[in-house]
Amino acid sequence: MSGNGQWLASLVEREGTPAVLLQEQPSGRRIPLPQLRGLTPHRSPSLSWNGRYLALLVQQGPRRLAVVEDRARGRLHRLQLPAGLELERLSLAPDGRRLAVAAVAQGRSQVRLFDLSGFLEPDLPPAWAVRGAPAVSGEAP
Amino acid sequence: MTLGRAHVAGMAAGLAALLSGCLGPGPMPMQGLNRSLAEQGSQGEPSLSGRWLALIANRQGRDRVELVDVERQRPVPLPGLNRPDALPLSVSVSADGSRLAVVRQREGRTELVLHRRTVMSSEPIRMEPEGVPRRATLRADGREIAVEVSRGGLVQVDLIAVP
Repeated sequence: MSGNGQWLASLVEREGTPAVLLQEQPSGRRIPLPQLRGLTPHRSPSLSWNGRYLALLVQQGPRRLAVVEDRARGRLHRLQLPAGLELERLSLAPDGRRLAVAAVAQGRSQVRLFDLSGFLEPDLPPAWAVRGAPAVSGEAP
Repeated sequence: MTLGRAHVAGMAAGLAALLSGCLGPGPMPMQGLNRSLAEQGSQGEPSLSGRWLALIANRQGRDRVELVDVERQRPVPLPGLNRPDALPLSVSVSADGSRLAVVRQREGRTELVLHRRTVMSSEPIRMEPEGVPRRATLRADGREIAVEVSRGGLVQVDLIAVP
């Protein structure tokens, strides 16, 4: 669920294939996610405050990758995380500034945090917008 | 005029970053906090919101919900939440850190509880119609929970408003 409650992302199965479903609330209207086409979603869809960013784990062959779809810019970011991590879960902070992943490394499950503030623009609630910061509210389709 | 190969590569990288909407090189590990988490045993099920990280950690063979203040890089006590007869499965925290939604197993049942830190108490949230909660996510203001519920072999998502 996005921080403002307007968007809900879930994993569904369509004809035996996993897919990400993004819906606007309360209407339930489905929103297309073109950047994720061709990827196999695995787990943990996680939305930022206004639903600009959708982070999730995808399966690519034997590997799991963390990706972030930036709906405002229509871009998909493949996150470069340290090698050797078997990603299990992911959580994106609502403002998009941090990411937590649970990953197995050397047989042990561990939570690690990553700072995304130098990488992604923040996605803040309108009242928190900083003067001079890039406008992000309302950019999402 | 000719441009050096390194110069062209730098321009290309800058242009790519500009076009991709990225501000910088990529995710930066939060080394201090990660080191501190690594020293504390195994963990999973992270939930980030505001300055708070909630997770399930294994301490001396027991799973328990923990809350970490990411800004201060220190754990915060959760009196009234962890019980010796309960096994937490999933946790989600509100942006102000005052509320946690926890799916846990207790007395052979799986239940969803909303824990309010201000009053140090956990209130069970009933599934209607009846179902087995599997995972819960709190809205940032803590006033609504999205719950994955298993009902008759189907997994559905319920939205539950909480006062």
